[in-house]
Amino acid sequence: MFKFHYRLERSALGLVGFIILVASIGGFIEIAPLFTIDETVEEAQDMRVYTPLEVAGRNIFIREGCYACHSQMIRTLRDEVDRYGPYSLAVESQYDHPQLWGSKRTGPDLARLGNKYSDAWHTTHLNNPRDLVPQSKMPAYRWLLRDQLRTDDLGQHLATLRTVGVPYTDDQIANATQDAYGQANPDSPEAGGVAERYGDATNIRPFDGQTDKLTDMDALVAYLQVLGNLTNAAHETQTAEVE
Amino acid sequence: MVFDHDSVVAFSKSFGLIYLVVLSLICLAWTYWPSNKKGFDEAARMPVLEEEDRPWR
Amino acid sequence: MFSDFSRDERTFAFIILGGLVVAGLAMAIAGRGDILGTHGWMVFGLSLIALFGAIRQADRPEPSPERLLEYYDAPTRVGLVLTLIWGVIGMAAGFWVAALLAWPDMTFDVAWLSWGRLRPIHTSGVIFGFGGNALIATSFHVLQRTTRARLPDALSPWFVLLGYNLFCIIAASGYLMGLTQSKEYAEPEWYADIWLVVVWVVYFAIYMRTLARRKEPHIYVANWYYMAFILVVAILHIVNNLAVPVSFGSAKSYSLFAGVQDAMTQWWYGHNAVAFFLTAGFLGMMYYYLPKRANRPIFSYRMSIISFWGITFMYMWAGSHHLHYTALPHWVQTLGMAFSVVLLVPSWASAGNALLTLNGAWHKVRDDAVLRFMALAAIFYGITTFEGSFMAIRAVNSLSHYTDWTIGHVHAGALGWVAMITFGSLYSLVPSMFKRERIYSNTLVEVHFWLALAGTVIYVFAMWNSGVIQGLMWRTYDESGTLTYSFLDSLEAMHPYYIVRAFGGLLFLLGALTALFNVIMTIRMPAKVQPDTGMDLPAEPALQAGE
Repeated sequence: MFKFHYRLERSALGLVGFIILVASIGGFIEIAPLFTIDETVEEAQDMRVYTPLEVAGRNIFIREGCYACHSQMIRTLRDEVDRYGPYSLAVESQYDHPQLWGSKRTGPDLARLGNKYSDAWHTTHLNNPRDLVPQSKMPAYRWLLRDQLRTDDLGQHLATLRTVGVPYTDDQIANATQDAYGQANPDSPEAGGVAERYGDATNIRPFDGQTDKLTDMDALVAYLQVLGNLTNAAHETQTAEVE
Repeated sequence: MVFDHDSVVAFSKSFGLIYLVVLSLICLAWTYWPSNKKGFDEAARMPVLEEEDRPWR
Repeated sequence: MFSDFSRDERTFAFIILGGLVVAGLAMAIAGRGDILGTHGWMVFGLSLIALFGAIRQADRPEPSPERLLEYYDAPTRVGLVLTLIWGVIGMAAGFWVAALLAWPDMTFDVAWLSWGRLRPIHTSGVIFGFGGNALIATSFHVLQRTTRARLPDALSPWFVLLGYNLFCIIAASGYLMGLTQSKEYAEPEWYADIWLVVVWVVYFAIYMRTLARRKEPHIYVANWYYMAFILVVAILHIVNNLAVPVSFGSAKSYSLFAGVQDAMTQWWYGHNAVAFFLTAGFLGMMYYYLPKRANRPIFSYRMSIISFWGITFMYMWAGSHHLHYTALPHWVQTLGMAFSVVLLVPSWASAGNALLTLNGAWHKVRDDAVLRFMALAAIFYGITTFEGSFMAIRAVNSLSHYTDWTIGHVHAGALGWVAMITFGSLYSLVPSMFKRERIYSNTLVEVHFWLALAGTVIYVFAMWNSGVIQGLMWRTYDESGTLTYSFLDSLEAMHPYYIVRAFGGLLFLLGALTALFNVIMTIRMPAKVQPDTGMDLPAEPALQAGE
């Protein structure tokens, strides 16, 4: 015992090893069990993956830092359920690399935003929030309607997401670029494949109201409209207790 | 041993507690061991020693 | 800088700079049309300029062996100035984003001026730019003084300091272009993260190599804290940033973790970034500069060791208190809460230790604004850790989470503790580092102190008020059992507080500008007249003027 103390005090490497030992175990004990959590978490048979356009929209959501003011995690508290809808389940963000649970609500929670407002409302609101909500503190994202969406690398994005665990098929990866276009252009020949590959529940609409070009706005609105709608699990299992 | 959720959680909860107690005891024993006092008192004076502001060799 | 390098070190410097030029060019080519390409050109340009500068100085004479009889403080000097520059940048960005919340139309239809892109400039600017440079600069100073050994070489400290600032520049410019991993306080993308790991390994090596040549067998406790900061930040950084890039030509990557695992990993990182970056490192600073300035040894050295192991051990479990009432399993939340509450013990032991050190020297605290900065930092450290433990209790957290209360709490710690201990240490270090008699103006230090204190108090009180009001409005029901207030009602109620908060931040920013001015003027003062240490001195040194 003494020998150990003696060495620790004098050897820099001993101190280093002890710090690492002491510091790493706490995190390990908390985090490691979570990787077996899928055994106990709700199963959601109907869980869908994001379409390429929604992935692009999610990346714009991240790019503009929306997560810093909008959470996507409804807590198990009565007022939150009354205000926003059924509380969030772990399964709902199982394909979110990374999660966007957020830490602050300068604006309202977005976990159940999908299909709550019309596409036109979102487009107008994102373009200048104060056109619709005079008291809003949100920036006006006017460039979203101007900027052409980059779609040429969406196949690579889907392939990368598959590497980290999202079950995209080869077919979905190969057609990512044209599916992104098709989802925002329902009358185009590309639109047919989207529902075929991603299911009939997929929103296929001209999200930003202009069909002549695919904009960042299309992608972001497509993403916002799918929030909370990837699975119905939360609505079905919500007989559980609310604190 | 099967690595299902329950057993991993059980291990975390039990081992974590033992680990916590043992480490605390080691740290407390070492810090307050009487023969270590002198060294600590010397160390505490390190920032306030009026020494030459240059390396020792 | 280059004239301090030996022949070998110059060769290594050329290899490193040449390697960076090539790496920058490779990034620029692989990532053309992408932000990665822009960053490639930046790395290429910066390292090319540095390479030309190095070539011009390559034939300077080698430094004399006598340099080894002195400590190597040049990187500390540059680090101190960089600390203040990043501080002003980060705090100015903070003031601006605060103002944007009161007057959101100041985005002016410019993407990089929007709130979401400027906010990480503020957070990274103050945490990594201001805090990180302060830690690097002071750690080099403390390490040498407490081991009585010179840094092992001249090249590696410069590599750490400049490499770290390159990371900061890549990070900040990326945010403006919309590049972020969206993980709070871990926003930089994969290539910046890899670069930081390289820098960090060298930083750690400097520590180990200097300690290996120390005089005293005992390692002074301040170094323990600095080492915990270096080691644990490395673990946190590597684990939380595990990600797969879309391609080697793309700046974008996808996190290896998803959903609940990612949330827990992120807040394990996020909370311990506070613990080991903003607490352990700055406690190291406090345990050296506060006793030094007060000219009294730390009240209880043993207590500082107990606090050290307590903090190192327990902080790691506390991260899950960021995820109360979420989809994270209940037992993990409870564990996080329990450890957060127990954490109060080592935290208050540290704060108490600092204040008890000042017992008997309160007249110095009264007269010396520099020491007052440090004393106030210890007080704010005590307040903030108490508040933190309190907010980690589930029932309290149900009210405080997602509101401005959290922002108030963070700033009580960041402005009151981190920035104050930094300014205190910096003011006490600058004159001796630049070999000046004194700081340029003690009055300005005094002005800075009151600006900083007023700014912090105004800021924190505004956010406490707005956060509690916000939290209560969200959960108020009327008699019929429906929610009384819409979200918009709560947003409108925040408006006056957002203006007050921006004003508090402005005061703090003005204080930082005062510090920058004061330090620049100190550097421009004439050097202290050094008594000649040559052989032709009389045996009795003549009386110095003013003695």
